[in-house]
Amino acid sequence: MKSKKPVFFIVLFIALLMAYTAIFGVSLTIGSTKIKIPGAPDIRFGIDIRGGVDAAFQPVGLDRIPTSKELEAARSIIETRLDQQNILDRDVTIDKDNGYIIVRFPWKAEETDFNPADAMAELGETALLTFCDENGNVLLEGSHVSNSSPEFDSSRNQYVVSLTFDEKGTQLFSKATKDLTGKLINIYMDKTLIQSARVTEHIPSGKAEISGMGSYEQAKAVSDKINSGALPFSMITKNHSTISPTLGSGALEVMINAGIIAFFIICALLIIYYRVPGFVASIALLIQVSGQLLALSVPQMTLTLTGIAGVILSIGMGVDANVIISERISEEIKAGKTVRSAISSGFKDAFSSVFDGNITVLIVGIILMMFGSGSLLSFAYSLLTGIFFNFVAGVAASRLMIRSLSDYSALRKPFLYTCFSRRRTL
Amino acid sequence: MSNNIIHFYKKRMIFFTISLTLMLVGVISVFVNGVQLDIQFKGGALLKYAYTGEIDADAAADAASALLNRPVTTQLTTDLTSDENRLIINISGNYGMEAKDQTAFDDALKEKFPEASLTLAESSMVEPFFGQKFLTNGITAIALSAVLVMVYVWIRFSRIGGLSAGVMALVALLHDILVVFFTCVLFQIPIGDSFVAVTLSIIGYSVNDTIVIYDRIRENTKLHPNVSIETITDLSISQSITRSVNTNVAVLISVGLIYVLAFYNSIDSIQSFALPMAIGAISGCYSTICIAGPLWVMWNKRKEEVAIQ
Repeated sequence: MKSKKPVFFIVLFIALLMAYTAIFGVSLTIGSTKIKIPGAPDIRFGIDIRGGVDAAFQPVGLDRIPTSKELEAARSIIETRLDQQNILDRDVTIDKDNGYIIVRFPWKAEETDFNPADAMAELGETALLTFCDENGNVLLEGSHVSNSSPEFDSSRNQYVVSLTFDEKGTQLFSKATKDLTGKLINIYMDKTLIQSARVTEHIPSGKAEISGMGSYEQAKAVSDKINSGALPFSMITKNHSTISPTLGSGALEVMINAGIIAFFIICALLIIYYRVPGFVASIALLIQVSGQLLALSVPQMTLTLTGIAGVILSIGMGVDANVIISERISEEIKAGKTVRSAISSGFKDAFSSVFDGNITVLIVGIILMMFGSGSLLSFAYSLLTGIFFNFVAGVAASRLMIRSLSDYSALRKPFLYTCFSRRRTL
Repeated sequence: MSNNIIHFYKKRMIFFTISLTLMLVGVISVFVNGVQLDIQFKGGALLKYAYTGEIDADAAADAASALLNRPVTTQLTTDLTSDENRLIINISGNYGMEAKDQTAFDDALKEKFPEASLTLAESSMVEPFFGQKFLTNGITAIALSAVLVMVYVWIRFSRIGGLSAGVMALVALLHDILVVFFTCVLFQIPIGDSFVAVTLSIIGYSVNDTIVIYDRIRENTKLHPNVSIETITDLSISQSITRSVNTNVAVLISVGLIYVLAFYNSIDSIQSFALPMAIGAISGCYSTICIAGPLWVMWNKRKEEVAIQ
């Protein structure tokens, strides 16, 4: 039989590499391209952990559910104001079915005089959209824009924002373009400049185009903002929660400390109780934990407290897979098998229950993906990545490592694979 | 017969009594304490402020009530490690508060108690519509998970009487869900998002415990075709008992540590999921060994008797 001695060290090396990356993150420079693999310090925590604001905005005085175009426009108001307040790390989503805009953003520890309720109240106010000349004189207001949309101008081969004015707007715009040919028109939301356009000709028709958009996204963003000027409602939030950063950081610290201490205690117990399989299980556990952290940090998924519950569940399942396997190996050896055949039948017999256990968790995870909202989605994500790493680390990597270690004659002593559990038979 | 085997089946009545007693205590505590839904699920308004010095809770409640025109209850707590004082303002009604009104309230309250240097620590405003949506989704997720897991066990363990295996796994799950629920009621932990997450975790653990034992039963039935179902079950449970204990010890260590650290830092949100999770994990292990196993034997013995007649 071919010796598998080096396999253990390869797996161990991968485990340590993963752990290092997961804990610190890694920046690589290959040629001219820089690759950054984010680690635990870059994990995006939910606002329940790091503190922040979570608010659902709804229209005021509207007796119907707003259209998706109105919601897009309303979202652009909120986004512009968040920009204004320099809140860039945020999450603004639209709940189209119920007509809500959901805003989440962190509350930074250094912002001691930050008043979240104030910030939220400002976000929903009606936006005043104005078209001004270079001296700041208002030419016309956003309510006179009947429609604005991103379009592709094939003759110029670029994206443009197409504007249509209402009757009053057409007159005002016609006059403005006549007076300002060759000059700039600036479009403001509240006091923020959102777009400048040079007037190339007199436009009496009430239809205009703003050219020079770099991409469809840019054109759409500008057009959404212009539409917001004609939005028939303001937004308020009656459904919101805030957590101060001090409270949040305390929660994070508790989880990290508990996690580190628990990890070492569990590894120590596994090694004392199960010896070689326990040692291997500890390395497998390291792969599992690092893998789950990387699965959160690399795609920048948001981790909430319930997400951490999911990580705990997965790690528990990972420990369980190793415990089941180690117990089996020990039993087989006590039944008189050689170390090598005990290992292979131990894995074979343990696999079906490890498999079934993980499939049931998979069922729970998929259901949560369908019905969960908010923080429960983070829970579901942790469960699903956990199942993947249970198979990769708990089953595959453990097997490779144990097989490899048992190739060393010094490590092929049966007592190294038997645990304290009694073998029970009929 | 070897005395290696632990006779769970013979002692089943003791276990059933223990579980029924627990359920009874739970039901009583529901009547005594009532079920406290988190405002996340029922809608409502809650504010937490950090303060320094002394503050009169009743005076704060009266002031808040007058400002908001809604009945208000207040509560004072102290953080064990940082000695930070907190004023909790619970505003009655199942609806939230507009952000603008909250700002106005915030200003007015600070003006009323200038020496306390109040700073907002946490706020939670939930409209009933959102609460109801989250509650329905949570219950649907729990119910659907339990049922689908049962169906999966039924299909996978058709060799050992599929339906009975599935139903008993479900009984064990219901037992554990109830234990988690009653734990929340008994310790007055509001039922919210974290309750759903904990319950689903426990469903995962509990059914995993059950599967490990069924897997053994299936294997032992093949190995010893002529041994009674009662002995096979006792044997299977005995063989996997150290595994059950060890795995659950590992889970308890991590969850227990989280609970202890959260307790000393008075972080309610973490305490309120760590405690039911720890108790649920114990229940998940117990319900499989002491309830699902013996019940499954009773079911199948009954079937055999009927078949003989």
